[in-house]
Amino acid sequence: MVANTMTTEAPQRIATAKPVVAERTEKTGTGRLALDAQDVHVYYDTFHAVKGISLPIHEKEITALIGPSGCGKSTLLRCFNRMNDVVSGVRIEGQILYKNQDIYAAGVDPVAVRRRIGMVFQKPNPFPKSIYNNVAWGAKINGYKGNMDELVEKSLRQAALWDEVKDKLQQSGLSLSGGQQQRLCIARTLAIQPDVILMDEPASALDPIASSKIEELMLELKKDYTIVVVTHNMQQAARVSDRTALLWLGELVEYDETQTIFTNPSQQKTEDYITGRHG
Amino acid sequence: MQLHRSILESNLQELQSKLQEMARLSLDGLEQAIESLKRGDTALAGRVIAGDDKINQLEVDIEQTVVVTIATQQPAAGDLRAIIAALQIATELERIGDHAASIAKVTIRIGGEKLMKPLIDIPRMATNGKDMLMKSLKAYEDQDSILAHEVAADDEDMDLLNNQIIRELLAYMVEDPAKITQGSNLLWVTHNLERIGDRATNIAERVLFMKTGETLDLNR
Amino acid sequence: MIPETNSNYNPRLVARQRMGRAWQIVFMSSTVLALIFLIVLMLNIINSAFGLVALENTIAPSELADEPLEALEKEALVGILADNIRRNAGRKLEREQRFFADTLAFESQEKWDEVCARAEAPEGCSSTPRDHANVLALVYERVVEQQVLETYPLWDSITRGDEIRAEIEAQHPGATVEFWSWLDRNFLTTPMSSDAALAGVRTAILGSLWVIALTILFAFPTGVGAALYLQEYAPNNWLTRIIQTNIDNLAGVPSILYGMLGLAIFARTLEPITSGQFLGVGSENGRTILSASLTMALLILPVIIINAQEALRAVPSSLRNAAYGVGATRWQMIWSHVLPYAMPGILTGTILAVSRAIGETAPLLVVGAATFMTSDPNSIFSKFTVMPIQIFNWTSRPQAEFRNIAAAAIIVLLFILLTLNTTAILLRNRFSTRR
Repeated sequence: MVANTMTTEAPQRIATAKPVVAERTEKTGTGRLALDAQDVHVYYDTFHAVKGISLPIHEKEITALIGPSGCGKSTLLRCFNRMNDVVSGVRIEGQILYKNQDIYAAGVDPVAVRRRIGMVFQKPNPFPKSIYNNVAWGAKINGYKGNMDELVEKSLRQAALWDEVKDKLQQSGLSLSGGQQQRLCIARTLAIQPDVILMDEPASALDPIASSKIEELMLELKKDYTIVVVTHNMQQAARVSDRTALLWLGELVEYDETQTIFTNPSQQKTEDYITGRHG
Repeated sequence: MQLHRSILESNLQELQSKLQEMARLSLDGLEQAIESLKRGDTALAGRVIAGDDKINQLEVDIEQTVVVTIATQQPAAGDLRAIIAALQIATELERIGDHAASIAKVTIRIGGEKLMKPLIDIPRMATNGKDMLMKSLKAYEDQDSILAHEVAADDEDMDLLNNQIIRELLAYMVEDPAKITQGSNLLWVTHNLERIGDRATNIAERVLFMKTGETLDLNR
Repeated sequence: MIPETNSNYNPRLVARQRMGRAWQIVFMSSTVLALIFLIVLMLNIINSAFGLVALENTIAPSELADEPLEALEKEALVGILADNIRRNAGRKLEREQRFFADTLAFESQEKWDEVCARAEAPEGCSSTPRDHANVLALVYERVVEQQVLETYPLWDSITRGDEIRAEIEAQHPGATVEFWSWLDRNFLTTPMSSDAALAGVRTAILGSLWVIALTILFAFPTGVGAALYLQEYAPNNWLTRIIQTNIDNLAGVPSILYGMLGLAIFARTLEPITSGQFLGVGSENGRTILSASLTMALLILPVIIINAQEALRAVPSSLRNAAYGVGATRWQMIWSHVLPYAMPGILTGTILAVSRAIGETAPLLVVGAATFMTSDPNSIFSKFTVMPIQIFNWTSRPQAEFRNIAAAAIIVLLFILLTLNTTAILLRNRFSTRR
C-alpha cells in the first residue's frame, strides 16, 4: 500500500516477472490459544441466543464467525470482551478462558478485559474529537505512560492511516471518509495495545474499496494480533480468515480451517450455507 | 493508494512458480527421453518414467491451489482467467510429461536393439517441440500474444516434419518387414512429439485467453 | 399526462393532489395566524410604551433655582426639599435613609439617637446616606410634583398629534405636552415609585436576575444529576419506573401548586434558614429571594430532568460502545463522551425551562413577592420582586399611565428573556461545534 495511484494493471499481475508481493502471506499462527470459549450460553431475558458454544480461538490468526442474521455470531463475539455486560437483561453462562483465566470469573473487572481484548464495530464510530485524541483517549484513560505522540503515530501507521491524516491530526475524526473512520477506529484500538481485536462486521458499512483496505489491514495485523471477525459476508470470511466457524440459530455447526470450510465442509448445513442454498 | 489482495496475489504467485517447476520437469523429461532413445539408454528412460510422478503431483497441487483460491478469494476478470489458464496449462504440462514418459517407454521396448537408422528428424522434431513449449511458456510468463501466435505457426512445421518422418518410416517398413516392429515404435514416438507440439499450441491458446479473454483455436 | 393503463388501479391523482394542497393551506394558515397574533401583541405593547403626555408641575423647576436642578449640589437639593415639604415628611424620609453621613437634615440629634436606640430601629439608622440621584428624584417627586394629566398611545400621537395638542391646550391651560418614551434610562435605573412618571424597574430587574441566577444554580446541577442517574445508572425496576412516572407528571402540575409548596416549605417551615436568621442577617420572614429561587427550581426541575434524559437517550449507543471498547469505565464514558454529546440538548431543555421561570408569576405571588419595593435586593435573604410581578401590579392599577409603564416593563422583560436565550443558544452552539 505504497503507490498512490490506482492503476488498472490487475490482469498482468500473474505474469509480472518481479512480483509486487513476493512472499507468500505466511501462516502466522503460533499453535497456542488466545481465547477459549467453553460451553457458552447467552440469554436475552428468555431468548436463548447462544446455545452452548465451545470455540477455541488460535493466537495470531484470523478467526471468522459466519452465519445468517440472528444466528448469535455478534452476541458470541461480544462475549469475548464482556460487551454484553452493558446490555440489560443479558445472562451469560459458561467460561471464556483468556491466559488460563475465566474472564467471567468473579472479581474480573470487565474494564480490564476490554483493555486486553479490543473491539472494532460495524459502523465506524470515531469519537467526536480530533483524530489525535481519538487515538490517544483510550491510551490516556488506561494510564499510558509512554510518549503519546509516538503512540498515536505508531497506531495510525499500523492502521495504514498515517499518510492520509498526518497533516490534519487536529481535525475532527468525523471529517474523514467512512473507510478512513473505520481505520481510525482500528488505530484507536491498537493504541491500547490489546492482545486480541474483535471486529464486528468491520467492513459492512463501507464501499468495496474501503472494505478491501480493511481486509488487507487485517491480514497485516494478524502478524501481531489475534483477530476474531464477525461477518455476514461469507466471501470476506473466505478471503481473510484462517479459520471459520459457522453458527446457526445459536449453535456451532462447523468450525475448521477456512480453506476446508469453503472447499470441502463436513456438514451438509455448511455446504448449503456456503453455496447459498440454505433455506 | 494501490490496493493489494495479498493472499490472492501470493496464490497467483505460487501457481506461477509451480507451473514453472512443472515446465522445467517436463522439458527435462522430454530431453532425457529423446536422449535415451538415441543412445538406447533404458536406465535413463526408467528415470524419465519415474520422474513423471513428480509432474503429476505438481498438477494435483496446482489443482488444489486453484480450487482453494477460487473458493476463498473470489478472483474475477484477469485474475480469474489467469487461474483458469494456470489450471489448463498444468493439465497440458502433465500430458506433455506423459508424452515424454511414453517416449521413454518406447526406448525400453526397443531395449538396446540397434536402431534401423541414426535418428535425425526425430530429435529435430523433439527440439522443435521443446522450442515451442519454451516459447509458449515464455509467452505465458510475459503475456506475449505475438509469441503465442508464433507457437501456432511453429506447429505447422511440426506437422510437416511429422508427415515427412511417417512417410520415411513407412518406406523403411515396406522395404523391410523386419523393421516393422521398430518402425511402428518410432511412429509412436513421432506421434507423441506431434502431440507435444499440439499441447504447446494449446498453452499458447490459453495465454491468449488469459490476455484477451477470447478463445482461439490455433490448432487449425 | 400519463394515462393509467392497468384497470386494477384507479389512482384518482387529481383528487389526491387536491387533498394535499388543501392541508398545506390549513397548515400555512395556522402559521400565519400565529404570526398575526404575535405581531398584534408586539404592536400593542409598543403602542402603549411610547406616546404623547400632558404634564403639569405644581412648582416649576425654574422657580426653585436659577440653574437646572440636575446641576445643583446635593446640599442645595436638600435645602430645596427642606423649604418645600413639611418637617414630619422630611423626618420620615430621613428615617428611611439619611441624607448625610455626618449631619442630620430634618431630625434633631437627640431624637435621632433616641429613635435609633429603640429595639426596632428604622433602616435609616444603619444604611448608607442617600446619593445625589436619590435626592434629585425626591425633589422632583415631592416638590416639583410633576403630574401626568393625560397619556396618549403611540398610534394616536403620530396620526393626530396636533389635534391632541389643541385638545390639551383647551382643557388644561398651562400644561405642557411632551413626547415620552416610557422606556428610558431612568426607567431602567430608578426603583419603584407610586408615581408612574417616576417609577422604574430597577428593583424588579435585579430581583429577576437574582432569582433566575439562583434558580439555575439549584435546578441545573440537580436536574442534570438526576437525569444522569435515572438514565445511566438506575436499575430498570418498579421503583425507578415510579420515580420516572412521577417526574413526568410533575412537569404538568400547575405552577400555583408549586407556589403553595414553596410557601409551606421554604417560606414557613424553613423560615429560619430562608430568611437568613440562622446567620443573624437578612429579612424578618421567609419571603426571600432564596425561597423564591428554591420554589422556581422545584418548578423547572422536572422539565430539566425530562429534557436532559431525552438528550442522554439520544446519545448513540455506538458512541458508548466505542468508549467501552477501548476500556473506559462507565464514568469515563459518561464524562468524556455522553455528557459533551448530550450537552446541547440538555442546554436547550434548560433554556426552555428557565424562560418559563423568568415569566412565571403565580408561584412567586404565593411565596410572597413584594409588590412595592424601593431598595435593591442585595443578598439571597433580601425581600424581592420580579419583573412579571411588577407588570402584574402595574396593569392592575386604575391610573392610565401605569399601563404605559407596564408596557415598557414588558419590553424590558422580553429583552431580558431574549438576551438570556441568545446567550444560552450561543453557549449551546459552542458545544455543538466543538464536536
